[in-house]
Amino acid sequence: MALERWETILDFHDINTKSEKMNQKIKLALAQISSKRENKEANLKKIEELTIRAKEQGANLAIFPEMSLTGYVVRDQFYELAETVPGPTVKRIEGLASNTGMHIIFGMPELSEKTQATVFNTAVLVGPQGFVGKYRKMYLPTHSVFEEKRYFRPGYQEAAFQTKLGNIGLCICYDIFFPEVLRLTRLKGAQLIVCISASPAVRRNYFETLTCARAIENTAYVAYVNLAGVQDGLQFWGGSRLVSPNGDVLAKAKYDEEDFVICEVDFADLRTAETFIPTLRDLRPELFEKLKAYSEQF
Amino acid sequence: MRLTPSVLEIDYSEAQKRICRFIKEYLENAGAKGTVLGLSGGIDSATIAALCSNAIGGENVLGLMLPEEENFNQIDIDDATIVADKFKIKTQICDMSNVLGCFYNNIPAFDPSDKLCKGNIKARTRMVYLYYYANKFNNIVCGSSDKSETMMGYFTKWGDAAADITPILDLYKTQVRRLAIHMGIPLELAHKPSTPALWPAQMAETELGIKYETLDLILFGLERFMETEEIANQLNIDRSIIDQVKSRWLVNEHKRRMPIAPKIGFRTVGNDFRLPRHKY
Repeated sequence: MALERWETILDFHDINTKSEKMNQKIKLALAQISSKRENKEANLKKIEELTIRAKEQGANLAIFPEMSLTGYVVRDQFYELAETVPGPTVKRIEGLASNTGMHIIFGMPELSEKTQATVFNTAVLVGPQGFVGKYRKMYLPTHSVFEEKRYFRPGYQEAAFQTKLGNIGLCICYDIFFPEVLRLTRLKGAQLIVCISASPAVRRNYFETLTCARAIENTAYVAYVNLAGVQDGLQFWGGSRLVSPNGDVLAKAKYDEEDFVICEVDFADLRTAETFIPTLRDLRPELFEKLKAYSEQF
Repeated sequence: MRLTPSVLEIDYSEAQKRICRFIKEYLENAGAKGTVLGLSGGIDSATIAALCSNAIGGENVLGLMLPEEENFNQIDIDDATIVADKFKIKTQICDMSNVLGCFYNNIPAFDPSDKLCKGNIKARTRMVYLYYYANKFNNIVCGSSDKSETMMGYFTKWGDAAADITPILDLYKTQVRRLAIHMGIPLELAHKPSTPALWPAQMAETELGIKYETLDLILFGLERFMETEEIANQLNIDRSIIDQVKSRWLVNEHKRRMPIAPKIGFRTVGNDFRLPRHKY
């Protein structure tokens, strides 16, 4: 029974084929911004300006960092800044996406529709036709300078959305340390996995390694977009990048400061990558059962 | 992890860049015109002067030299002047002797033989001068505390630790010296023995009872949750020395925090009232 269940989940080739027919090449704008804390209006204006610039430069998808709407180090103010998704900000971004014909990914604190103070750290995907979907961060760092579990409820659902650009998966920052998140996203059909981030400088080496590792082990494109600038003494290291399914860094933004990089994803390369090192073909579902059992016990 | 001096090696170009960006961004966002710092002639303040000058231009940096008669040292004034000239910062000499004399003569319980209490008056008076200039000229006070002295609690509460920003607080003393050399501060100044200059002939390493080269490795181990026994074994020193350092580090946490209050309300200042410093 267990094997059958996994085989159902692993039946992802149909999804790949469908989306490849829709769009073989797309252009991304890695919009590495320094967001103003507690100033949604200023950040929305920046998102609008850069989305228009991305459109002018031929991009289809503009990606902004984790908590790009509000800033990352806002602490108790998350309760005041959080909005439902969809909600007022998403509506405004929908207008922007509709006017420009762009897809847009950005990060914001999401207020639960069912309670008054349950907040998620959320990535939002909006397309020209409107709201596409959202991803709630599963792994909330609460160590060192991070205090996310103090404010956020974790998400429980991986996210991969079929769009006209292809199948786009979402994850957020610390999620990338846990291979299962991106693996699930890939198995759900994502060919391009977008990781939005608010990572301080001392963690640069980890992310530079992990973005490549996740791309290789999933034979997927990984687009990583990080914050830049300083918030409460935390220097966000920027360094946004697009990594190919072979682990090559195809495009890279500056370290530490704001930057804007246009780069291209060619979904046809997935086929080559999947045949060269066929990590998905060689997946062993029974090991996941063991992994589950052991991780509950250690 | 091997506790050798190499563990303290960092990329000093990167550290300089990061600290300078921090100073510049903080100043811009705070809407301040420049920084004021106490220029003592020592390595920490020299490094701060160099970093501030590099970040915002020397013309926006004011170094206050704050001598007083009991502890007057012309070499310190000369060293401070060398640094100010090299990094083209503005300076002002303020002789604190009369002000200190007023304190000594008007505090009923003042005891001249208690050099620690008397010395702390000096450190806090320096703070008053720095904040006066900062208020007057819309500047921020740039502190020069380093990680070694802060972890050890080797500073005066509301004195030398009082500042708006502390750009080298996350660098151990030996790292500050290396950064100073990297930034072109003369070698003899970089290796000049540290002193808080609260009384004549006061020397930091003598008071701490340990060389910074060893202290920094111990603190580095404690920072990384290494066990006392392991640190002692690796550094080949007596465990009691590690215990003393650890004890001093822990017991001085009160000096590094906001004043504590009994919890009464829903959210309490300095406790669970957790707000960002600025809206930028």
